[in-house]
Amino acid sequence: MTGKTKVGFKLSAIAGAAALLLTACGGAGVDAGSTASAASTGAPCGSYTIAMHAWVGYTASAQVLTNVGKSLGCDIKQVKLDEAKTSYDAMESGTVDLIVEDWGGGRWKDWVDRGAVVDLGSDGNVGQIGMYVPKWMAEKYPDITDAANLNKYADLFKTPESKGKGAWLEGPPGYTTIGEKLISANKLNYTAINVGSEQALIDAFTKGTENKTPVIGYWWTPHYLLAKLGLVRVNFPKSTWTDAAKADGTTDYPASDLEKLASKKLATSGDAFSKLVTNWKWTNDDQNAVASDIDGGMTPEAAAQKWIDAHADVVASWTK
Amino acid sequence: MTSSHSAISVRNLWQVFGPNPENIIGSPDALLPRAELRAKTGNTAAVRDVSFDVAPGEVFVVMGLSGSGKSTLVRCLTRLIEPTSGSVVMDGEDVLQANGSRLRELRRTKFSMVFQNFGLLPHRRVIDNIAFALEINGVKKSERHARAQEVVELVGLRGFEQAYPEQLSGGMQQRVGLARALAVDPEVMFLDEPFSALDPLIRRDMQNEVIRLHKELGKTMIFITHDLDEAIKVGDRIGIMRDGAMVQIGTPEEIIANPADEYVADFTRDVPKSHVLTLRTIVRPQADGESVSGVSLDAKTIIRDATDAVVNAGGAVTVTDNGQSIGVITANDILRIVGSGASA
Amino acid sequence: MSSIVEQELIPEAKKTIPRGWIFAGIIVVWAIIGKIMNGKYTLAVNLADQTKMSASINDWANHLGQNRQSNPFFVYFITPVREFISGLVDFIRSVISVPLAHSSIPMLGWLGIFAVIGFIVFITSNFRQSLFAMAMIFSVGALGLWTQSMDSLALVLTAAILSLIIGIPVGIWAGLSDRGLAVVTPILDLAQILPTLVYLAPVALFFLIGPAAATIATMIYTIPISIRLTAFGIRGVPKSPVEASVSMGTTKWQLLRHVQLPMASRTIVLGINQTTLAALSFAVIATLIGAPGLGDPVVQALVLRNVGDGAVAGLAVVLIAIMFDRSTSATLKKQGIYVPPSEKAIRNRRIGIGIFGAITVAAIVVSRQFKWAAFFPESINVSKPIADFADKFTSGAVDHFGFATTGLNTLITETILNPLESLLTGTPWFITSLAIVAISFLLGGARSAIVTTILLLAIVSTGLWQDTMVTFTQTIVATLLTMIIGVILGVWIGRSERADKVLRPFLDAGQVLPAFVYLIPMLGFFGPSRFTGIATGIIYSIPIVVKIVGQGIREVPVNMNEAAISAGSTKWQQITKVQLPAAKNSLLLATNQGLIFVLAVIVIGGFVGSGGLGYLVLVGQSKVEMTGKGLVAGLAILLLGVMIDRIAQYTVRRNSAPKQ
Repeated sequence: MTGKTKVGFKLSAIAGAAALLLTACGGAGVDAGSTASAASTGAPCGSYTIAMHAWVGYTASAQVLTNVGKSLGCDIKQVKLDEAKTSYDAMESGTVDLIVEDWGGGRWKDWVDRGAVVDLGSDGNVGQIGMYVPKWMAEKYPDITDAANLNKYADLFKTPESKGKGAWLEGPPGYTTIGEKLISANKLNYTAINVGSEQALIDAFTKGTENKTPVIGYWWTPHYLLAKLGLVRVNFPKSTWTDAAKADGTTDYPASDLEKLASKKLATSGDAFSKLVTNWKWTNDDQNAVASDIDGGMTPEAAAQKWIDAHADVVASWTK
Repeated sequence: MTSSHSAISVRNLWQVFGPNPENIIGSPDALLPRAELRAKTGNTAAVRDVSFDVAPGEVFVVMGLSGSGKSTLVRCLTRLIEPTSGSVVMDGEDVLQANGSRLRELRRTKFSMVFQNFGLLPHRRVIDNIAFALEINGVKKSERHARAQEVVELVGLRGFEQAYPEQLSGGMQQRVGLARALAVDPEVMFLDEPFSALDPLIRRDMQNEVIRLHKELGKTMIFITHDLDEAIKVGDRIGIMRDGAMVQIGTPEEIIANPADEYVADFTRDVPKSHVLTLRTIVRPQADGESVSGVSLDAKTIIRDATDAVVNAGGAVTVTDNGQSIGVITANDILRIVGSGASA
Repeated sequence: MSSIVEQELIPEAKKTIPRGWIFAGIIVVWAIIGKIMNGKYTLAVNLADQTKMSASINDWANHLGQNRQSNPFFVYFITPVREFISGLVDFIRSVISVPLAHSSIPMLGWLGIFAVIGFIVFITSNFRQSLFAMAMIFSVGALGLWTQSMDSLALVLTAAILSLIIGIPVGIWAGLSDRGLAVVTPILDLAQILPTLVYLAPVALFFLIGPAAATIATMIYTIPISIRLTAFGIRGVPKSPVEASVSMGTTKWQLLRHVQLPMASRTIVLGINQTTLAALSFAVIATLIGAPGLGDPVVQALVLRNVGDGAVAGLAVVLIAIMFDRSTSATLKKQGIYVPPSEKAIRNRRIGIGIFGAITVAAIVVSRQFKWAAFFPESINVSKPIADFADKFTSGAVDHFGFATTGLNTLITETILNPLESLLTGTPWFITSLAIVAISFLLGGARSAIVTTILLLAIVSTGLWQDTMVTFTQTIVATLLTMIIGVILGVWIGRSERADKVLRPFLDAGQVLPAFVYLIPMLGFFGPSRFTGIATGIIYSIPIVVKIVGQGIREVPVNMNEAAISAGSTKWQQITKVQLPAAKNSLLLATNQGLIFVLAVIVIGGFVGSGGLGYLVLVGQSKVEMTGKGLVAGLAILLLGVMIDRIAQYTVRRNSAPKQ
């Protein structure tokens, strides 16, 4: 090393030490009073992180809770995170505190059993997964909505990806899917294609509707797109299962309550946010209203606030 | 010469590379030529049964072609390469028996080495390169710089103390190498082809520098080279190596005058004999009726240096040893020698 | 493997039947048997179904999770490690990105961080670099990603520092001791071919999703780099200064401290540079297991196919990478210069450090006092125009060239991908295995065939044969296309200085940019399909292939070219008859590297509809009951990677022209 750098290091060490000293001594006193956090109106409230899953409906729910929580003086952060295990593990390690909409139908059991995750019950939304086609297809081929007739139309759905069979667009990874079982149990001449994300499905349905190209794929409610595009559900025999792992594939997806899951810290704190989350419940229409605004270009914050302002009474019932 | 009076005394030194080297030594395989040995056992004998002594203050040159084992030999003496067997005695102590810390102590105090590629530390200034050996020995900064400064003066590096090696020419870099080796005031210096990487002109300067330093400081030196001219110039005695073995040891004159075998003779053929041989080698009894000029020269005089005197003497010149006449030489005798040297 | 590659691999005809014919024969026989026995013994497994191995691993993983609090291995090792690393990340984040308790800003506001970064770069390199680094960090703020960038920085710093703390000593050991090198080498080789996606799940299994797991996964990626470069640096120290120092009686420690380390410092700094850059690029994918920071917007943009947001986030990653690279490179340059600074230069520098230091301290204080200095001003935000531009550019390209991209997708899918996939997956597994082993034998000889057999059997035993073959198919197709494009571009830059100047910045940027970032526009171009993954793989691996091929072409001795020209050969003949054959070793090496790079990206194609093993890993990541299958898929990727690498290595070894 040259003498030059040696000098450099010595001086830098001194400067560094000085900087550290300043920082340490400064402490809370120096901290910008002018930048202080949001005004606190309610009871003292803790700091929580919401796991943000990828779909827009989820964002709608989470953002409404975030806005209300902040107005109560709580420190609410959002972290983008995959659903299910990823988020449960994160909850166990203390990284996140809340999942506002879990479709899992009990897949969190192990975590709940060991006390890492607390199930706060339904958030009021009812989820329904199914296979859907664009409106024009249901009009042009009226009997396509009966799964029994799907093979008749398989050729319509051929793509290079589906290798000679009908392309059956499956839900994104992590979403509850039994497509392969439905195909094999009902002897359908289709290939399940894992498109990888919700957006890919949105693209496919949007294109399919706009260009009148045939498409059949996985979709669900609550979701603003369902109403927007007027997707039509293909009916399989009525669901006979609740645990996807045990489904035999002969019957459709069941309707299920969507759950709120909280970390032990949040569930037991009893503070304003804890109460809010416990009381919070809303309908599919509520969520679709917010989600639709977000899709229309509003920021999640603004869309959520718009709904909150229009439903003061509902919000009041949550914060009681 | 006996080992008790030697600065360094080497006995039966072997260095064999490859599997189970110790099994080779003493077995008939050891006598095989190198290539055959490698084919048979996979071993390479780099140094084979080498023994020699170096007197205090002597410059002993080890000479050989590349691959003759001379570089391995010098590394065995300092144990940069571990010899397979033998002994290297300095001051009554076998260097090969020294344990790790004793070996380091010997290296720090008793001997030092100069390398063909200089081996300088590029990230240290000249002065700190020279003081490095002292530094690792725990000498305080002011002390070691003072000592380094002395050596700087000695090798003519004044004004370059604060430079980095890369800023210097090759010759100057090797002066740093010499200075570094001198800094610890060693008893023995090993110089491994120290000037091979230098231009011929600079090489000559540096050879003179070594001769000067040797005169001033009187260090015992073991000097490795592949250049016979250099060997003759700096060496008191020369050991010639071939295929790992020492084939002849002697003064330059002895080697030129009486090459031990074809190999050595091959080497010496191109050397201008008049530059090496003394009058002793060509002196002959006075012939009948030969006129003597009255000029006399000592037998130790190099032929070249005697040429003028003999040619101008106008007759045979008397050669004396310790004042006693031992015979005569004439201009013709001298011209025969000079002529044979020039035939190259 | 592929006709192009194959041609390169055939040495001058020594055998009676050319290898090309044997190769074609294998394919034909394979295809005929495949036709006859199509769909039998294909070992197909439904996505949701378990294999024997995945079921038992699932149980084991669940068991692991349930005993997290009681198992001593967790209580006394895993958990403390997790908490320690978490604590470190949290500490750095509390300095630069996450507000402290009872506060709304971290220890340093943006102005303070800005000044500190400038000051550090000033000390380690020079004033110009310092200004440059500050400009970069300011730009990141102007992209509206200040907090995310600081979060990434915190994670990257933690991972890089810990990697160096572990990697440098191990690297020194491997540099000094042959036994150390022997121990370390196979691990480093394995790490080099291990696709990053593979170890996310196992790390998350032990360390839980969160910054700690993300840091550890990043370290798995970066430690080998610092080990490799440190060892390389130590081993690269010229022999003579070392020997000279030993001859002076240095102890091993003195030798290391005064000679080997200082002389290896350039390579070690290069190691720091590479380690940091690798950590940064990994930080994006580490988002999948809870890394805070810039990966968030990237992955979010990927899920929402939001090209604009993805481009902005990607740009931020690149800016930070350039900042790291430029400042460490400047340090590197300084390291090699041994010219004493003048008294004046020293004095000026001291004054500079004093002034800069004072400004930095002032900036820190100010950044904690005033809102404008604490929060990066929201008014400075250029993200929207950039995002809009990227959106418009992509959607414009899709609108105008949609027919071409769709056409290309369909063409490749129907002419190469589907036939090859049905050959690999539709033929009975033992026939396909036999064919692969035969080709492996043809390319790499008996040892290659034996290793291939063992690895194929291991893949079969995972139960994921089908998915592995799907991934293998895509890897082959992507590598084939990569080599076609890469050789063309490589020859171009090898022959033309101008081309080199034009292309190199793109190649460099391509190597820094995490593959995730350009997966997004690829999704825009090609929609969710296997070809999207293939296209991403091609883009990811082309820089390295082009660079190696270009280098190889450039190193073809001038006289060979001149001889060809004087013999009157056309440019085309010169390329095909002289330069490419002479650059054969480079082509082999490029193919080997291309395969490994392609595989690493093909598996993240699971995000965009590529299916195969990568998709299983993703599913395993998010579905509890699929944990085991995800882990097994990771294992299968590893086995496939090792198999590809071994075949390639044996092929290279067997077919390389002797070095001149």
